[in-house]
Amino acid sequence: MYDRHTLGGSIWRHALILLLCAFSIFPVLWIASASFNATNNMGLQTLIPRHPTFAHYKELFTSDRYQFSMWLLNSLKITIIAATLTVMLAALGAYAFSRFRFKGRRAGLLGLLLIQMFPQVGAIVAIFLLVLSLGNIFPWAGLNTHTALIFVYLGGAMGFNTWLMKGYFDTIPRSLEESAKVDGATPFQAFFWIILPLARPILATIFVLSFISAYSELIIAQILLRSGTKFTLPVGMALLVSDQWSQRWGMFAAGALIAMIPFLIVFILAQRSLVSGLTRGSVKE
Amino acid sequence: MKERIKEVCIGGSKRFTQGSCFKEALTMKRVSLVLLGLLLITGLVVTASEAGKLLIWADDTRTPIMLKVAKDFTAAYGVEVVVQELDFGGMRGQLATAGPAGEGPDILIGAHDWLGELILNGLIEPVILTPAIIADFNPVAIDAFSWGNLLYGVPYATENVALVRNTDLVPEAPTTFEELLTVAAALTDLDAGEYGFLIQEPDPFHTFALHTAGGGYIFGKDADGVLDPCDLGLDNAGSIAGAILLDQMVKDGIEIAGAGYNEVTGAFNSGKLGMMIGGPWTLPGAKAEGINYAISAIPPINGNAPGVFVGVQGFMISAFSDNKVLANLFIKDFLISTDVMLGLYIEGDRPPAYLPALAFLAGNEDIQGFAAAAATAVPMPKIAEMNSVWSSWSNALELIVNQTQDPTTAMQDAAAEIRALLGCD
Amino acid sequence: MIWRYIAKHVAKVVLLGTLIGVSIYVTFVLLTKGMYVPAAMPLIGSVSIAYIFLTEKRYPLRWLVPGLIFLIVMVVYPIGYTVVSSFTNVGTGHMLAKDQAIDQLLDRSFAPADALSYTFTVFAKNANNDLALLLESGEERILYLHGEATAVAVDDPRLIDDDGDGEPDRFTDFARLSIPQIVPMLSTLETYRIEFESKTIGLESLTEFRTRTPTYVYDADAETMIDQQTGIVYTALEGIFTDQNGEEIYPGYKVKVGIRNYINLLTNPRIAGPFAMVFLWTFAFAFLTVLLNFGLGLSTAILLNDPYLRFRTLYRVVMIIPYAIPAFVTILVWRGMLNQHFGIINKMIVSSARMIDSAVNYIAVHGFNTTAVLFGDVSKIGWLADGTLAKISVLLVNLWLGYPYMMLICLGALQSIPKSLYEAARVDGASWWQQFRNITLPLLLMPLAPLLVGAFAFNFNNFTLIWLLTEGRPAIAGATTPAGQTDILLSYTYRLAFEGARGNQLGLAAAVATVIFVIIATISAINFRMTGALEELSKNV
Repeated sequence: MYDRHTLGGSIWRHALILLLCAFSIFPVLWIASASFNATNNMGLQTLIPRHPTFAHYKELFTSDRYQFSMWLLNSLKITIIAATLTVMLAALGAYAFSRFRFKGRRAGLLGLLLIQMFPQVGAIVAIFLLVLSLGNIFPWAGLNTHTALIFVYLGGAMGFNTWLMKGYFDTIPRSLEESAKVDGATPFQAFFWIILPLARPILATIFVLSFISAYSELIIAQILLRSGTKFTLPVGMALLVSDQWSQRWGMFAAGALIAMIPFLIVFILAQRSLVSGLTRGSVKE
Repeated sequence: MKERIKEVCIGGSKRFTQGSCFKEALTMKRVSLVLLGLLLITGLVVTASEAGKLLIWADDTRTPIMLKVAKDFTAAYGVEVVVQELDFGGMRGQLATAGPAGEGPDILIGAHDWLGELILNGLIEPVILTPAIIADFNPVAIDAFSWGNLLYGVPYATENVALVRNTDLVPEAPTTFEELLTVAAALTDLDAGEYGFLIQEPDPFHTFALHTAGGGYIFGKDADGVLDPCDLGLDNAGSIAGAILLDQMVKDGIEIAGAGYNEVTGAFNSGKLGMMIGGPWTLPGAKAEGINYAISAIPPINGNAPGVFVGVQGFMISAFSDNKVLANLFIKDFLISTDVMLGLYIEGDRPPAYLPALAFLAGNEDIQGFAAAAATAVPMPKIAEMNSVWSSWSNALELIVNQTQDPTTAMQDAAAEIRALLGCD
Repeated sequence: MIWRYIAKHVAKVVLLGTLIGVSIYVTFVLLTKGMYVPAAMPLIGSVSIAYIFLTEKRYPLRWLVPGLIFLIVMVVYPIGYTVVSSFTNVGTGHMLAKDQAIDQLLDRSFAPADALSYTFTVFAKNANNDLALLLESGEERILYLHGEATAVAVDDPRLIDDDGDGEPDRFTDFARLSIPQIVPMLSTLETYRIEFESKTIGLESLTEFRTRTPTYVYDADAETMIDQQTGIVYTALEGIFTDQNGEEIYPGYKVKVGIRNYINLLTNPRIAGPFAMVFLWTFAFAFLTVLLNFGLGLSTAILLNDPYLRFRTLYRVVMIIPYAIPAFVTILVWRGMLNQHFGIINKMIVSSARMIDSAVNYIAVHGFNTTAVLFGDVSKIGWLADGTLAKISVLLVNLWLGYPYMMLICLGALQSIPKSLYEAARVDGASWWQQFRNITLPLLLMPLAPLLVGAFAFNFNNFTLIWLLTEGRPAIAGATTPAGQTDILLSYTYRLAFEGARGNQLGLAAAVATVIFVIIATISAINFRMTGALEELSKNV
């Protein structure tokens, strides 16, 4: 589909992309400028700060009221665990839907999608009560624990991810596993050693997707986590912008900017898997 | 080399051997072990609210001083006090879910107009104070926290809006509203981003003064002095006159659309705004930016002094607390003191409801200014029916400020909506 | 080989056994807490899992079990709970469970004319784990030890006065606690209900115990509360104790009210008001969002998938940035930027308009306000104040927020299209557009169609965006109920539930969620039929 670019082709492509980049990055520049602006006052903010300072960043990491570094660590821990497990669970489910024929398969696939459509704000109270009673039995998975939050995030693991992954698995020829089975591999071994490595792009995609959805999730985390040391980044950041927030605008902006970095790192790492992968393995028969 | 091993492992379907994939298998296993370990560690660190330990919910302006008081209490009695910072707006909702589940606070700091809802839901406990202590409080504040013949909280601050002006731009307080508008018009230059007088919009709390000057009100009182939700005064002549005044301010280019709390205070704190209607909560920001300001009563409109809302902030005890006696002790013996009340004032600039602390601040010009504006104040209604009022009312204000609807119709429509909601037709 | 077989099966039996064991424990715990229906669930669950893993017939399910457990517990159960609560009157005044409300009422006490006040002394040993309490009121002296209250004489030999000040310093080997030492024990003392000579005595303050007479007595059979002071009988009426005159005592509790919430919702004259308008906008908003976001996402994905494009990794990273910051943060920033008078966007438009004007003036016509003539007063673009512009703003911000997601999934899906197809097409002389139209798009849409339907559903319910960006504003003039131009179905109906006369009607809100779920699920199911998204994806299978 792609050819080497002529000079003109090169210019319009880059121009178009730069325009899109400007669209994407403009509000972020605005946040960045606020984070370096000495004043917290939005009314005085200019795109290029008049008195640039790192004070807001310093305050973020030294404030004893807002444990920003703790929030960052909590978020990373929760997000990495949740995203990794999500990829595993979704891969198992998607493989079953892609390779086996069983009763209720189509209904199951449809159900998975439809169930995600229930307005989440409606079920918040129920989730709270559920986790509360879970905590009565297993204190390590009750309110104010990260485990409970991870469990809730895993609840959505199958939904869209299964669909996305199943679609990808469907394009991998069955003959690959069949030959493995001839060599004495069990279905699980075939799945693990043949399919998964071939599906790296989609695994990476789903990791990135579930990473960011857990990383930026606010509503459930806010109702399950209660103490400042347990907060995730969004919960803490939401606290920073509550009430008289214009007085913490600079700190908030600095936090938002730092919050961006982990995801960008994950994305850059995933890049390699996104582009390589399948093309090499599957076509060589 | 590494690449080659992978190649065998991935593409080597025809020569499937466990050996060649050993390296990947090992990493996979390690990864899953680490993950499992992390999961377990997460689970092991658990905190649970327990008896013998006080949990306080406070918002951003109250948290710092509560942390100090908590430290003192712990030092004196060896009882741990945990202060949790919550957002003010969300506190009621959180209490409704967490309280009955036994996960709520022992003490929370909130506003008196929450009372109706919290009491109907059985979420807070009465507090019993001796008459001698009650006499130390502003009667308005005690009245605000009373429901029936019971007191449901210990008030600490009364707050109302007043005219806040930048004394560099407006050295003298205007004596009439008409004068105020003239001064404002002279200062306003929208293209240069300079403003004379702004009321934050669309926010009935701040425009209430405009309506009341001509005799507008929200709920009337019945013969017993109890609020009657079906006697709605939002479309009476006074309320509509206020709406027309607002409309005129917009037409004159003084009031502008999109002036929310952050915009108005932002303009004021950057010295671009001459006057605003603001409460004590706007002062810390202005001080931080070094703005010279003064506070005075909102001047009379057509010769009538406008009324403003009084809100009262106070400490309430959760009905689901396991430490009610301890919580009472904390409030009565520790919070009701001039020191703490002054500390709360310094942190949030809200005038104390505790008279000894107020007396201490007698010479304070901020306090005098707010007190002057409070002379004609009415307490915010605390009945649950207020829930139905805010949206329709602020929608009307928005339609006026955006110049989408004429002020009379806007107020009439809003009143009709509210009557329908309250079933008063 | 045989050993491996045995080991595998032993492991399976051990694991399943453990699972069932744990679930029996959980069931037992739940039973002791009186939660009979939830108690059955872990048992049913673990037995089904055991069944799945022990018979070959249900083999495919083994792959699904891990994900399904979380799905059922964390998604399906809360949905079920919400649907059930839509048949109750839960909300302001009816928040508590019945026994909680009754407990609270029974806990209320009043001081009758003959109430007694006691001073008290606390003695403790074993690091405050053993307490003895001495209550004194006039001549009456009560000793409370290990749950037993007994009268004691002034000269009881167990009360030892070491320093002779007339106050006992020890009780046998229990040491007396000072006031500051009592404070940490208050919450323990608070739980004591001391029964002595037909009186009930409870802790009142740091220095006082007091006889308590419960305000209410509850008759469980008749479901009535009787006020001990006035004798008034309050009968349970729809979750609240009410007397003959309609006086109610709060708090009430939640009770089942059948389909009343649904009837209320569907026959409510207020619903009929701007409902059609809100519904149409919700639909348009969700549809246009998917269309715009997918369009832009796909275009960028194709551009950035180009192996000949330089800096493509850098570009990808920049374009993913909107996705990297939590949405609630960036929505707030957008809201500020779009502000009519204070926002940077209008400020920039004004300054570029001035630049154009002065350029025109410089080159040609002096004193001619070009932009004003062409575009009107650019300084007052009400991005969030004008109905149509607000809708455009909402779509624009949502495009900014959402296109990186579409770009990501398109990038992922593009990888699955075999290059050989394009090579073949090229040999046949197909143009770029033909390749896109006949290879890329169909092969991409097949796996992505369900996700697009999902995105549609998500945006149909995108409460966060609307709430943070516009709160549904600007208001619709002349509406019969508070409604805004950008209100979506969910925000609009939630307002109905939360701004009723009596505060929050959570039961009604649950009914709203359920009805919206039914609507969106129906739309989606129709969508699936039409797009054929559920048909098999590849002949390859």
